[in-house]
Amino acid sequence: MIAMAGNVEKLMNEILKVPIEKIGDDMSMDNVPAWDSLKHMELIAGIEKNFSIELTFEEIIGMRSVAGIKKVLIARNQTV
Amino acid sequence: MEIKNKQIIITGGASGLGKAMAIELCRRGALVSIMDRDKERLESVVKESGVAGFSVDITDPKAVENCLDEFAKANGAPDVVINNAGILHSEPLIRIGASGIELHSLDTWHRVVDINFNAVFYVSRCAINHMVRKRKKGLIINISSVAAQGNAGQSAYAASKAGVATLTSVWAKELGPLGIRVAALAPGYTETESTHAALSEAMLKEMVSRVPLKRLAKPEEIVMGIVSIIENDFFSGKVFEIDGGLVL
Repeated sequence: MIAMAGNVEKLMNEILKVPIEKIGDDMSMDNVPAWDSLKHMELIAGIEKNFSIELTFEEIIGMRSVAGIKKVLIARNQTV
Repeated sequence: MEIKNKQIIITGGASGLGKAMAIELCRRGALVSIMDRDKERLESVVKESGVAGFSVDITDPKAVENCLDEFAKANGAPDVVINNAGILHSEPLIRIGASGIELHSLDTWHRVVDINFNAVFYVSRCAINHMVRKRKKGLIINISSVAAQGNAGQSAYAASKAGVATLTSVWAKELGPLGIRVAALAPGYTETESTHAALSEAMLKEMVSRVPLKRLAKPEEIVMGIVSIIENDFFSGKVFEIDGGLVL
């Protein structure tokens, strides 16, 4: 069974060009070469735009992995 | 960005173009802080215009960091930083005289590059740190020059100003996603003390003859460019040239 891609996965796919089926919660800046500092800035901007929120610096610091991104968004009552 | 009530830092704000910027932005309601190493001039501008003054040598990275931290502690992250401090210097790479060959001084090369280029990096690096931490959608304005096109006889000055233009393009791309703009303004030769101090009357005359409008820029004309950059939220990554049409 193929899992349905969530909003975060779709965004990661769009910005990092990583196939959706390869995006998991354990994916992070430490294990994805395409997810460098510059792409991270784009990702942050993409998250803010897509979820219509403004992230704090502390939240951004915690968003270095898919799991971290989801944790912040869930805390903001967003559908991930 | 509306200018009123914005925290604006201007380096080299105690004289010339920096002072003109400080006075005009103050008049438009900005909360202006100037950084300068000339304490006497700094105090004089502070008294005259009501801006805040920071005495700092911007070629010292640690001093810059301390100064920006002190600023941020009192005022929060800056909204706008204008990297204006700079020195105009003319010296050919090689001079052939009666006594032989004289090469461009290494001391002056380092001094000009330190003030005009390295200091822009030091100040912006610290300012961006505060902007990003506070998620402020700020603006960095770098003062480049028409000389960045490659003005003969100005190796250090022209190269440092071209470097500043390149940093503008790089940083605009890096910081744009966070809503931070980075722009540059390249004035042509302007009616300031430093222009007259750095260029002989003959050199100035030659420069003016090459300007289609046949005159130097007035400081207020350059300041209007700064105002435009601040107020236009879609201007980023580019150099705004105000040079009367001069092509070097």
